[in-house]
Amino acid sequence: MTAADLAAPRSPGTGATGRIAARAIVLLLLLGYALVSLYPFLWMVSAAFKNQIEVVRGGHLIPESPTLDTLIDTWNKLHFFDYFLNSLLVTTYTVVLTLAVYAAAGYAFAVLRFKGRTALSRLFMALLFVPGVTVMLPIVILENQLGLLGTHWGLVLPFVNGGAPMCILLMTATFSAVPAELRESARVDGASEFRIFAAIYLPLAKPALITVALLTVIPTWNEYLLTRVSLNDPETYTLPLGLQTLASENVPQYNNLMAGALIVVVPVVLLLLFLQRYFVNGLLGAVKG
Amino acid sequence: MTTPETAERRTVSGGESRRTPSGAPPRRRRIRTEAVSGYLFVAPAVILFSVMGLYTIGYGFALSFAHWNGFTPTWKWVGLDNYADLLWRDPVYAPPVQAAALNTLWVMIFVPLLTVAVSFPLAVLLNQVRRLQGVLRSIYFVPYVTSGIAVYFAWRYILQPEGAINFLLGTLGLGSLQEPQGWLGNPDTALATLIVVIVWGNVPVAMLLYLTGLQSINPSVLEAAQLDGAGWWRTNVSVIWPLLMPLTGINVLLNLRESLHGFQTFLVMTNGGPAQHTNVLGLEAYRLAFLENLNPTLGLASALGWMLFVVAIVLALINLRVLRSRV
Repeated sequence: MTAADLAAPRSPGTGATGRIAARAIVLLLLLGYALVSLYPFLWMVSAAFKNQIEVVRGGHLIPESPTLDTLIDTWNKLHFFDYFLNSLLVTTYTVVLTLAVYAAAGYAFAVLRFKGRTALSRLFMALLFVPGVTVMLPIVILENQLGLLGTHWGLVLPFVNGGAPMCILLMTATFSAVPAELRESARVDGASEFRIFAAIYLPLAKPALITVALLTVIPTWNEYLLTRVSLNDPETYTLPLGLQTLASENVPQYNNLMAGALIVVVPVVLLLLFLQRYFVNGLLGAVKG
Repeated sequence: MTTPETAERRTVSGGESRRTPSGAPPRRRRIRTEAVSGYLFVAPAVILFSVMGLYTIGYGFALSFAHWNGFTPTWKWVGLDNYADLLWRDPVYAPPVQAAALNTLWVMIFVPLLTVAVSFPLAVLLNQVRRLQGVLRSIYFVPYVTSGIAVYFAWRYILQPEGAINFLLGTLGLGSLQEPQGWLGNPDTALATLIVVIVWGNVPVAMLLYLTGLQSINPSVLEAAQLDGAGWWRTNVSVIWPLLMPLTGINVLLNLRESLHGFQTFLVMTNGGPAQHTNVLGLEAYRLAFLENLNPTLGLASALGWMLFVVAIVLALINLRVLRSRV
C-alpha cells in the first residue's frame, strides 16, 4: 500500500441511510442470482404440471390449469417407475462398493506401512487426469468380451473405479487424523487389523463416509455418457436414458420430458437440503487435495 | 525378492548389536504382518484399477496406432497415421477436428473467465449477509447437484423459440433481443449460449471455494485496510482479490480441465449442431468411438482421446506448479 492510499480520505455516505441502501442493493443482487440459479427448474416444475395443449402454447410460468396427470402418466405409462428402480439399484451398488473398497484402501494408505505405498497412491491420483472419453471405448470393448456390457454391473465397476482418486484422498486424509495411540492400545489388547479398522476407525470416520457417499451418489445418479453406450435393453434403462428416449421422439412432449426431469432432480435436491454441510466439506476436501 | 524366508534370515543374522534385548524379532514380525494387511486392504482397489484403469488406458494407447471397426477379428497396424489423419492429413476427419479444436479453445477461454467473473463477486456479496447466507448457498448449489441430462433438457426447453428466455425478454420489453430460431438453433448464438449454461453449472463450486477463502482471511488485515482509508470497493480490489489469487488459480485450472474434457452439455443440448458450430474435441472423440458404425474409426477415436490426455497432463503439471507456489 502506497503513501497516497494512506492519505486517501474516508469514503463519504457511511450514514445510516447509506448503509441500509447498500444492504438492500446487496440483497437484491443476491436474490437476483438465486433466481438465475433456479430459473430452469422453475420452468421444469411449471411444465411438469401443464397439460399437452398448454405446454405447446408456451405462455406463463404458473400453469393455467395445473394437473397431476402429467407426472402420474410419466411415472406409470412412460415407465419412469422402472427407470427409477434401475437408477436406485445402480447407485446403491456403486455407493456401497465405493465405500467398502476405498475405506479399506484409505486405511492402508493412511495407517499401514508397506512397500510401494507412496508409488501406489500416486498412481491412483494420476487417474484423476485421465479424460473419461479416453478410457470409455476400451471399457466398452473389454466389457463386451467379459459379457458385462449391457448389465448394471458393467456400469457399477467403472463408476467405482472412476471415483478412486477423490475417495482415496478423502479417506486417507480422514484416517491420518485419527491418533495413532488408539490403534496401538487396541493392538496391545490383541485386536486384529480388520477389527481395529472396523471397530475403531470406521465409526470415527462417519462424516467422511457420508461425504464420500454423497459425492458418489450425485455423478452416478446423473451419469449418461457411459450408460448410453452400454445399455441397450429398455428394461435395464436408468433415469437419464429414460429421459433420452422421451427426448428423441420426433416431437418431444415437453410436459412429459420435464416431468421426467423433475423425477431425476428431486432426489438429489432433497439430499442437498438435508446433508448440505457434508457437501460443502467434501467438495472443499476434494478440490484442495 | 523379499520372501518371508529371507526376511526371517535377515532377522536372525542381524547381529547382536542391532538387536535390542527383548523387542526386535516380534517387532519385525509385526512390520511384516502389517505389510501383509496393507496389501490385503488395498487389493480390491488395485485389482479394480488394474482392470478398469491401467488395462483400458494401455489398450486405448495400442489401439491409437491401428485401424479397427470393432468387428473384424484383427487390427491393422498403421503407426502414427491416425494422429496425422486427425491433425491435418485426412480430408474427411481433419477439418471437423480442427473446427472442434477452435470451438474447444473458445470454451477454454470463456468458461474459466466468466466463472471467475461471476463467482468472485457473488461470494463477496454472499459473505456480507448473515441470516440468509445458508439458504442462499443451498440455492446456489442446486445447479451443481443436478448437473446432468435432466437440467440440460430443462435448458433446451427454455431456450427454444417459444421458450421462457424469449418470453422473459418479451416481458421485459427487450423483444428485439429475442431469438426467433431459438438460442441453440441460431449458429451465431449456439456456442455462446452453451458457454453460459456451462458457466451456470460451474459457478457453485467456484463460489464455494471463494466463500471459504473469504471466511479464512484474518480480520485484522481488513481492519488495517480500513484504517488506511480503503473503502469497500478498494478493499475488495486491492486486498481481498490478491489474497485469494491462489483460489482463482485453482478455479481457472478446474474449469480449464472441465472445458477440455467435458462434452456432455454439447452432446445433450446440440449434438454439435447447428451444422457443427458447437462441436468440441471430446464430442468428436465420442462420435468417432461410438457413432460411426462400421467405419474403422476406433483407432482415430483412441488417438484423439490420447491427445486430450496429453494436454490434460500438461494442464496438471501447470496445476502442480501453481499449487506449490501457493505457500
